[in-house]
Amino acid sequence: MSVLQIQMRDLTGFRETRLKILTLRPNNKVHWLSYALAVHVCGDPEAALEVLDNYMNTLGENSEEFKRGFESSELALYKNKVLSETTCSQDGDDDFDKLLGVKKAWKHLDEIAHVIVDQTGWLQAKLSYQLQLGMFDDAVETCQFLFKRGSTEDHRVHSAYMCALLNLNRETWSEVEKLTGTATLATFRPLLDKEREVLLKAYGVTPSTTNGSSPDLISADDDTTTEECLAVAFPKSAAIKRIYLTLLPPSSAEFLLAIDKYCRRQIVKGVPSLGSDLSSLYLMEDESQESEKRLILARDPVDIKSHPVYCMLVELVESYICSLTKQSTFPNDSIEHPPSVLLWSWYLRSILHEQAAEYADGITLINKCIDHTPTGVDFYELKARLLEAGGDIQRAADVVDSGRDLDHQDRYINNLTTKTLLRAGRDDEARKRISMFTRHEGNPEQNLYDMQCAWYELELADSLAKKGKLGMSLRKYMAVIKHYEDFHEDQFDFHAYCIRKVTLRSYCDLLKFEDEIWGQPIYCRAAENIIKIYLGLFDAPTKSPSNDEPDYSKMTPAERKKAKNIARKKKKALEKKVGDSEGGVIYDTSKSPEDNGSKKKKPHAVDIDPEGKELLALNPLEESQKFASILINYAPRRITSWVLYYDVSVRRGKMLMGLKALHRMKSIDSTHHDLFARIVDFSQKLESRTTKCHAASEEVISSEFPKLLDDKSLPDFIKSTLDSVKSNPLSSLPMKIVLAKALISSNMATKSDCVSLILDSKLNGRSVTMTTCRDALEFMDSLGKDAITGKGELIQLIMAKFPFAKDF
Amino acid sequence: PSGGSKENSLPVDFGLINGDNVEQLKKINQACFPVTYNANFYDEIAKKPDENLCKFAYWNGFAVGAICTRLEPIPDNPGRNRLYIMTLGVLAAYRNHGIGSKLVSSTLDYIIESETEGKASTVDEVMLHVQSSNTDAINFYVEKFGFEKGELVENYYKRIDPPHCYVLRKKLR
Repeated sequence: MSVLQIQMRDLTGFRETRLKILTLRPNNKVHWLSYALAVHVCGDPEAALEVLDNYMNTLGENSEEFKRGFESSELALYKNKVLSETTCSQDGDDDFDKLLGVKKAWKHLDEIAHVIVDQTGWLQAKLSYQLQLGMFDDAVETCQFLFKRGSTEDHRVHSAYMCALLNLNRETWSEVEKLTGTATLATFRPLLDKEREVLLKAYGVTPSTTNGSSPDLISADDDTTTEECLAVAFPKSAAIKRIYLTLLPPSSAEFLLAIDKYCRRQIVKGVPSLGSDLSSLYLMEDESQESEKRLILARDPVDIKSHPVYCMLVELVESYICSLTKQSTFPNDSIEHPPSVLLWSWYLRSILHEQAAEYADGITLINKCIDHTPTGVDFYELKARLLEAGGDIQRAADVVDSGRDLDHQDRYINNLTTKTLLRAGRDDEARKRISMFTRHEGNPEQNLYDMQCAWYELELADSLAKKGKLGMSLRKYMAVIKHYEDFHEDQFDFHAYCIRKVTLRSYCDLLKFEDEIWGQPIYCRAAENIIKIYLGLFDAPTKSPSNDEPDYSKMTPAERKKAKNIARKKKKALEKKVGDSEGGVIYDTSKSPEDNGSKKKKPHAVDIDPEGKELLALNPLEESQKFASILINYAPRRITSWVLYYDVSVRRGKMLMGLKALHRMKSIDSTHHDLFARIVDFSQKLESRTTKCHAASEEVISSEFPKLLDDKSLPDFIKSTLDSVKSNPLSSLPMKIVLAKALISSNMATKSDCVSLILDSKLNGRSVTMTTCRDALEFMDSLGKDAITGKGELIQLIMAKFPFAKDF
Repeated sequence: PSGGSKENSLPVDFGLINGDNVEQLKKINQACFPVTYNANFYDEIAKKPDENLCKFAYWNGFAVGAICTRLEPIPDNPGRNRLYIMTLGVLAAYRNHGIGSKLVSSTLDYIIESETEGKASTVDEVMLHVQSSNTDAINFYVEKFGFEKGELVENYYKRIDPPHCYVLRKKLR
């Protein structure tokens, strides 16, 4: 029962049950640990600590627990973790010190050192405590020790090293500690000059190129450093070389030299991912943050084109191409390089074109690459990407397929081909391709389902939705939902297993992971699309043929009675089926061959509703509401969660909830076009509605909503937004479209004004993609014949930006 | 133009040609030769992969050249075979680095080293056809590998000009 309780997160129940079990069987280690964990998970680290101490007191002197071993190591580190979370003194003093637990845990590490097997974990814990307690010199030492042990590629250790060198406070460390991947302090916030100096010294730098030749990070006989810098100590570390690039100020000569050296090395080696790697250097200050300065990556071509690092790279690579074409050498160098070096330089230049949305130029170069070495799969991949972004998804699919044909054993390019074919709406071809890598017995889609291949199901679902096959599309999205429900279920076995194996730290992480699983991006994408489909069905219900009631007027009374009976039975069966189904996906569980009475239901999914008719028959608003609630609870920082929550709420007539959604959207991104559109919508709904809400809700609405309009009237709000959009030539295209729609719907501007609004910046603003351009075209169409010349102009502009686009 | 001098030579790896990568052979041949080989040609090679007879040359992860040979019986000499070189091609950008030579050498070495065992031991000579205007290729085989320029075969090719070719032979045993 306790396992069920923790599975369901009935934490107090779990704690009670585990206590009962412990009192009944106090000789069993597992019960002690379970109880301690139960107390910990209930949020009471002090009590959990007591339990662990009591357990240790029951052990004899020669117990295994006091000797070095895996289980004793894990238990000791778990105890240490719990200790670090305590905040009150165990003696019951009111000594509330947030760092009390951390201080104790830090001391405790030395006490347990002799039983520890996971040295890295021990060191990482020590490092974290040292940084929290401001013991910066010790932290520096710990980092250096970790590097020597081989953690040079772990960017979190690098972040810690930076925080220690710069003596940064606890708050900064706790934010930086959460960074993932290759993010470090240097990519998180702008560095001050004096900070750069300190870090560059530690990482290795030539203050000036004294000998003028190809610069090394630091010359071996440089006497100015007393201790070895990282670049010299770990010359083979790729991470140190990359991080070094992020430490230099982009406008400096050193940066140009460093990036030149970095690029040359990677091009000679022939690293296809160089372009993507370098794009992590397009850091710019986050304008939406007013108080704390933060860095974000430039993603929009408009921002990339104007980025100093990008411009530097373009010049650099052009110089390589020039020099290599003439004499097979890099600029100012005498070594002759093989033909592949020019090839990879072209490739990099083509990627730089792609980043700046210069698709025609990119294609010219990648064609050169393909003529040069037609056996290179990477080139077909890039060409396909350029074609797709440039507007011709069909040709893109053909190109990536021909690349795939060069190497039938390459799963990556096969997957990419499948994805591109799905985006081109060629579902059958896509299935044939992906089938080359599925198990050869049985239905390939069933195999993909068993393998929980969510990317395929999402792309297929998108494709089906575009074709209007909403039922089938819903089935595929629901399959992804089901995978996540299975992931959540799968923790069941670990409750007992982890305690038995004493891997308690990982177990705590697992519980946390499972708690937050409904906020994972793939789940959110599935849920968001499900909501969109259901809302579409709510707004424009299609008559589903299976639920059509037969025409009773044409029947005899006997026939009518019979027909009604059949209809009633059908409806009952439908309700029962949907009730039995797990997450809306319906299985025929009677055929399950693996059903051996285990606790978990693992149905052998025989698809008895491939067209999703049952899903279509569900109440669209209820289903949308279900998923919208999950999204705002588990993914509250995704703006789309709140956008859809708003859409669902206003259709349900819940104006106050809609207002809450608007408010949250604003706190995430106040300039987002979806927010603006919905503020206008809300205002218009307030005017036009016939029934009012509850009095208290009305009060809140009337006091809070005006703030969203900046205390202006709706026309003034729209006008001020219009002014700010007009004054910024880089305003995003989606924003212009929603603004134009608002102007029309509130009769504030003529159709030709709206046409000019969209055409004025000549599509040189942000967020100009094929998708947003099609939205703009749709809008032009909606304006009717007054906008025909405008539409023509727009098409010209689109074709200039997207030279491969065809069907208008 | 001379074939790669020692400083200029590119170290290549060899690799098997099979059904999964035979498209790459097509690409190389299309880029190198004025004649188009039909689907049958590639099917035969892909059906029975044998790295000793047909192989790619790889540089920096790319297949940049390939040699395709087969064993044929010598007409008037029962039990004895010849090695027939069907195609030898290196992508234009990678020529003059000794890759073609390496492909030929490694194939000839295979034949020569199998003195007593295996079907290669029955091979007495190597033979190929070269378009009559292709002096570079003729010099390559004659001067580098000691082939003999044999008879002119008229109208060997159907769609290219000149349509004639020379037979080049080398006796191994």
